[in-house]
Amino acid sequence: MQDFILALPLLLLGAGTLTALAFSRSGWSASRLGWLLSLFALTSFLLILYAFTLVPSGKALTFTLPWIPSVGLDFSLYLDGLSALFALLITGIGTLVVIYAGQYFGGDASAWRFHAYTLLFMLAMLGLVLAGDLITLFLFWEGTSISSFLLIAYKFKDEAARKGAFKSLFITGGGGIAMLAGFLFVIHLSGGADFKTVLASGGFLRASPLYPVFFALIAFGAFTKSAQFPAHIWLPEAMTAPTPASAFLHSATMVKAGVYLLARLNPALGQTDLWFWTLSIVGLTTMLVGAYLGFKQNDLKPLLAYSTVSQLGVLVALIGQDTEIAFKALVISILAHALYKSALFMSAGIIDHETGTRDLRKLGGLRRQMPLMFGITGIAALSMAGLPPLFGFLAKETLLASATHPSLPPIVDSLFPLATVLAGALILAQAALAVWGVFLGKPADEKHPPHGHDPHFAFWLAPAVPAIISLLIGLTPVEPQFLVEFLADAAKAAYGDKVKISLALWTGINVPLILSIVAVTLGSLLFWQRERIRAWMTDFLPNFTTNALFDGTVSGLDTLSRTATRLQGGRLRVYLRILLLSAIVLVVLFNGIPRQISLPALTWNIEGLNGLRMFSLVMLTVSALVSVFVRRDLYAVIALGITGLGVAMWMALEPSPDVALVQLIVDILSTVILILSLSLIPRKLRDRANELLHSRRGMVRDALLAGLAGLVVAGLAFTALNTRPRESVVSPFYAENAKPLTGAKDIVGAIVVDFRGADTLMEILVFSLAGLGIYTLLHYATRKSSDRTREEPEKRLKPNTPRGVFNLPTSPMLHTLAYIMLPLAFLLGITHMMYGHDQPGDGFTAGVIISLAIAQWYMLFGYYETRRKLAWLNRNNMIAAGLTLAVLNALGGAVFGGGFFSPVDYGRMLRLPLPPGFYLTNSFLFEVSIALSVMGAATLILDNLGHPREEDLEADADLAALEEKQ
Amino acid sequence: MNTWLLLLPLLLPFAGVPLTLALRKRRKIQSALALGLMLAALASTFGLLRAVLTTGQPVSVQMGSWQVPFGITLTADPLGVFMVLMSQIVLSAGLIYSLGSTEKVVQYPTYYPLFLALAAGLTGAFLTGDLFNLFVFAEIIVISGAVLTAIADDTYGVEAAYKYFYISTLASVFFLLGIGSLYVAHGTLNLADLAARIASNPSAPLTMTGMAFLTATFLIKSAAFPFHFWQPDFHAAAPTAVSAMLSSLVVKVGVYAFFRMTALLFPEVTLLKTLLVGVGVAGVIYGGFGAAGTHNVKRMLAYSTLAQIGFILVGIGWGTPLSLAAALVFTFNHALVKAAMLMLAGAMASRAAVKSASFEVVVGVGKYYPFAGVLFLLGGMALAGIPPLNGFISKLMIFWSGVEAAQYVPLLIIGVASIVTLTYVTRAFIRIWFEPNPKAKEKAGDRLLAPALLVLLSLLLGVWAEPLVSLSQWAAAWLGDPAFYIAAILR
Repeated sequence: MQDFILALPLLLLGAGTLTALAFSRSGWSASRLGWLLSLFALTSFLLILYAFTLVPSGKALTFTLPWIPSVGLDFSLYLDGLSALFALLITGIGTLVVIYAGQYFGGDASAWRFHAYTLLFMLAMLGLVLAGDLITLFLFWEGTSISSFLLIAYKFKDEAARKGAFKSLFITGGGGIAMLAGFLFVIHLSGGADFKTVLASGGFLRASPLYPVFFALIAFGAFTKSAQFPAHIWLPEAMTAPTPASAFLHSATMVKAGVYLLARLNPALGQTDLWFWTLSIVGLTTMLVGAYLGFKQNDLKPLLAYSTVSQLGVLVALIGQDTEIAFKALVISILAHALYKSALFMSAGIIDHETGTRDLRKLGGLRRQMPLMFGITGIAALSMAGLPPLFGFLAKETLLASATHPSLPPIVDSLFPLATVLAGALILAQAALAVWGVFLGKPADEKHPPHGHDPHFAFWLAPAVPAIISLLIGLTPVEPQFLVEFLADAAKAAYGDKVKISLALWTGINVPLILSIVAVTLGSLLFWQRERIRAWMTDFLPNFTTNALFDGTVSGLDTLSRTATRLQGGRLRVYLRILLLSAIVLVVLFNGIPRQISLPALTWNIEGLNGLRMFSLVMLTVSALVSVFVRRDLYAVIALGITGLGVAMWMALEPSPDVALVQLIVDILSTVILILSLSLIPRKLRDRANELLHSRRGMVRDALLAGLAGLVVAGLAFTALNTRPRESVVSPFYAENAKPLTGAKDIVGAIVVDFRGADTLMEILVFSLAGLGIYTLLHYATRKSSDRTREEPEKRLKPNTPRGVFNLPTSPMLHTLAYIMLPLAFLLGITHMMYGHDQPGDGFTAGVIISLAIAQWYMLFGYYETRRKLAWLNRNNMIAAGLTLAVLNALGGAVFGGGFFSPVDYGRMLRLPLPPGFYLTNSFLFEVSIALSVMGAATLILDNLGHPREEDLEADADLAALEEKQ
Repeated sequence: MNTWLLLLPLLLPFAGVPLTLALRKRRKIQSALALGLMLAALASTFGLLRAVLTTGQPVSVQMGSWQVPFGITLTADPLGVFMVLMSQIVLSAGLIYSLGSTEKVVQYPTYYPLFLALAAGLTGAFLTGDLFNLFVFAEIIVISGAVLTAIADDTYGVEAAYKYFYISTLASVFFLLGIGSLYVAHGTLNLADLAARIASNPSAPLTMTGMAFLTATFLIKSAAFPFHFWQPDFHAAAPTAVSAMLSSLVVKVGVYAFFRMTALLFPEVTLLKTLLVGVGVAGVIYGGFGAAGTHNVKRMLAYSTLAQIGFILVGIGWGTPLSLAAALVFTFNHALVKAAMLMLAGAMASRAAVKSASFEVVVGVGKYYPFAGVLFLLGGMALAGIPPLNGFISKLMIFWSGVEAAQYVPLLIIGVASIVTLTYVTRAFIRIWFEPNPKAKEKAGDRLLAPALLVLLSLLLGVWAEPLVSLSQWAAAWLGDPAFYIAAILR
């Protein structure tokens, strides 16, 4: 359980983040909060230090928590030399950065946000290097991307900050996705995500034919994160982040994540030609590009950023080598770079903070005003330049030693040292440029020299610590044994074999030293001729940048996006056409295109084709054709209605009277609804739509499509008739059991309310919803806007003169008809409900018949008169009652019968005297509930479509109340 | 007892329709009742899940006690109960959002009845074991969704609903043709019975035709490319609480049907699976670019659904145990996240100067609402598949199953598309919360409780993913062996 100590620093940093959030409204100054929060970071540092003493040399400490055991994923932590090196840098520099940030933001009470982001970032970064498996590593990897996005966008009012943040997230996030895919390949092949398994299956992984794929994916992720050419462009723009963030993210931590990953996986994936060439080429290119671009800069932060890019290139190139010395150089460079670069960034922040600018053209001559900063910056810059006796010198010496290692293949063996010397010279010149530009040279504008003075202790302490450590490591006469062992451990984990480390600066006169002298000389020359060279550089390839790649990608994405949205043209006809065609394609695709179409021999069986059937067929066909070709929509609707009648007639002759009856009623209802709807559309619009509909091209296209669809359906029907199994599975059961089990003579009735009653229950809900929908749409939604005419109250109460639809007067004879029709309809409806089980007709037909009779009232008497005369007719309540009754009725089956929806004969149960042929069963009650809800919904539809502009007192009150609320 | 656990999740919202309709003049009681019923349904769904888990068998009930296949079967098998659980969680959140919404539409007397009808339709669709009954539930969903969108405050609601309704009617025709074909070929409508009969006589005429029509139907329902045309308008114009349901749950009915089709009804047809992968990949590309190209947050999220459904279809199409589990995890997580994101988009739109989700209007509105910003950022991370949010688990599993199934080309495409997701989500976040807008003012708007709950749940399911993943694996294992399902129903 002592391994739990590995999780403690992470928990602590999490607690730190929460603490920062908790202090958001405390009004604490940034500096005070910084001191408090630095304790979290410092304790983490000490904990890791302590944990590392528990690690047996060359082994690792692990902590595993099952995370998603069902797919074999753990949350695991892992501490060995390599992770310890990074973890200590992160928490150590992190502690300093938190204190420093406190000073940087001073009394700013809103900087808790910055502190929270920093702690969150530290947590993610620490988790990344402590992760014990690839998935855990990825979790934290993405965490660093997100938290650095927040840090870069900290000053989000600044457009550059937003752009920089987006760019960094886009590039590192994209890399992350590739990397995740690469990881999954590795996990799949090696059979586990944890590093022990992965590192142990190195040989197998390298031999896999997929090796180039996952190597490329992982390397891509690492390169984007570690700002390798050509993905380095996000790093300089990320300098819009406040300086404390830059000092932390872009010197010691985030950008090193890719380096860490490559080093970590080197024993498993490295030592191949692909690995060597990719890492060497990318690394060396990045080194040169970074060094070259850095020398052009005038702003301190981008200058430092480009030198970081260059240094990251060095590290990547070193990991590519398969030599012991390269890994010695790697660990020394990591440490040296983290120390001097964080010191330099923090110093740059102080200079900016104190003088108000970071521009080298405005600065100069500050050595007298800021002697302390001059000292700190000077030491760090010397280390960056790689001059003795600083730690940076050692880093450069070992780098040169590995660049001239005899195992390098030809061409590389000369290019590598050459590039290193060149880059070294450029970096040296940059270091000189920075120190000279700020402290030594004269300010460009003599009249307005920069003002500033050394800050107070806590502020300069942060950069001083790493700078002094750089100096101490170089100066100490005896090699600090613990450091040597520590670095050797780290190098061994990355190299996979023992690495001998020595920290002696003087190793005698050898090739690296000579090259180093060459580099220093060259660098000094560059610095001496800096004006001329920098002027030349601005002219030569002035716009040299790979930003075009990023911009191109993003604008390409945007172009494709616009194309994609343009496909969505908004025209329903086009959509329907595509859908119909696609469906036809699917049918053909799944059936396969038949090699030969062989129609079975058709035998015309005209026995059953009597006169009536002929008539219904002709009626059907002719009216269908008319509905297509007739020019006026009203006639088309009527023709369509006749088609429906033809179908009903055919069904009646089949004979299937139930279907015929329902078809008849539905046909009438839908025709009425369609005509009413048409009447709501202004005549002009309708005429224009008719014209458009009958354009020649449109007709041809639609005819083709309709023909095709018709063919498919005809083929389907034809096959169905020819292949139908004569013995259906369910029909015989229904035929046999309708009477004995449900008491229904009519099989259809039994199916509708008993065997498949649940379907019916849901369908009446659908019908009710349609009614409610039309009601709400016409009475609320379309009237809510302010263009609704508000009439005077007295005008609203219309006189009682019966006025029909469209306010036309209606004749008394029609009134009499309506008076007679309604009771008749009720009588008819009630018989349908009572005997629906034995005869055609059921609750649905009953409901529609009654509502059609009521609709006639609305037509003839108008809205107000009908409401007055039929005051009992509350449609909404009727729907509610019908549906409630239906549910209760189904529950009744469960209480009194065998189960939910089971048949119950209440009449027999209660021994009620009932008319013959009528049974008070729950089937009957179901019919009643169907009738109620259908009646409610159908009257809602008919009434609302018929009288859309009439006032509705209930809705008006609601809408008025709503408007008051707003 | 188990029978009631199965019936209640469906019955409670269904009975809620007439009850809330009767209470339409008492808005406070009406809305409280709606939420209460939904939460009760959710609780019984948990009970149902427990029952299915402890018995290790599907819970099923025959409506009216008619034996299989003559009556209608309701079945809670692992897949069904999984989908219902997802729906009811999100639906409850939707009702919570409605309660705190400032839109006019939630004040209409029929809003809650319609919402509960949608809930009943969704629950029923996932629980029914009968093909025709599924059709009926799909109709409930269509009509309630269409009406709720038509009555939206957004003036485009009617147009969007009209298009949706037309296209859904076409889908219904396809559905009926598909059901008819299968009925002709095999003489039964019960899913288990049908599956057994198709397995014993796969070459019965019209079987393939039926499958083709069902495929077309569910491609429309799940809004897969190129059957998606209705979706962006429809999801963007709906009232916020409703659009959150439409984009997270309603399209999942189609997805659910593909689980059933590939695993139960037509497990041997590889062409169907290949088609799903193809359609899915196309959707991933089209939806991603579409989302990046829109000028409206809600519309962006609607397009994003298109892409995310694509991911799920790819997972179903690969058809391995891992990819099916991945598709299920994806389905669940996407529902939570998409609902939360649409609610957040709607909540910000309600605080904009003019009520609109167009970027031009909502730009900079986030300034006064950092909490909403945190939620949106977390939700966006989940959408883009960034840990520790649940979306990462979805992405991880789908990628993993692709690697395992050696499906490199689709994997490459969906990988690249993930970057597009990251792009549009980040841009939306930057626009609403980071860009300055002098016109933005502090203003009362829709409450943020519902999206906060959903985001919290997303976070929880990202950090503690085991329950969902093991549940999905269990459901996927059931899918892998249709014989179990058939035996459990036809016993």
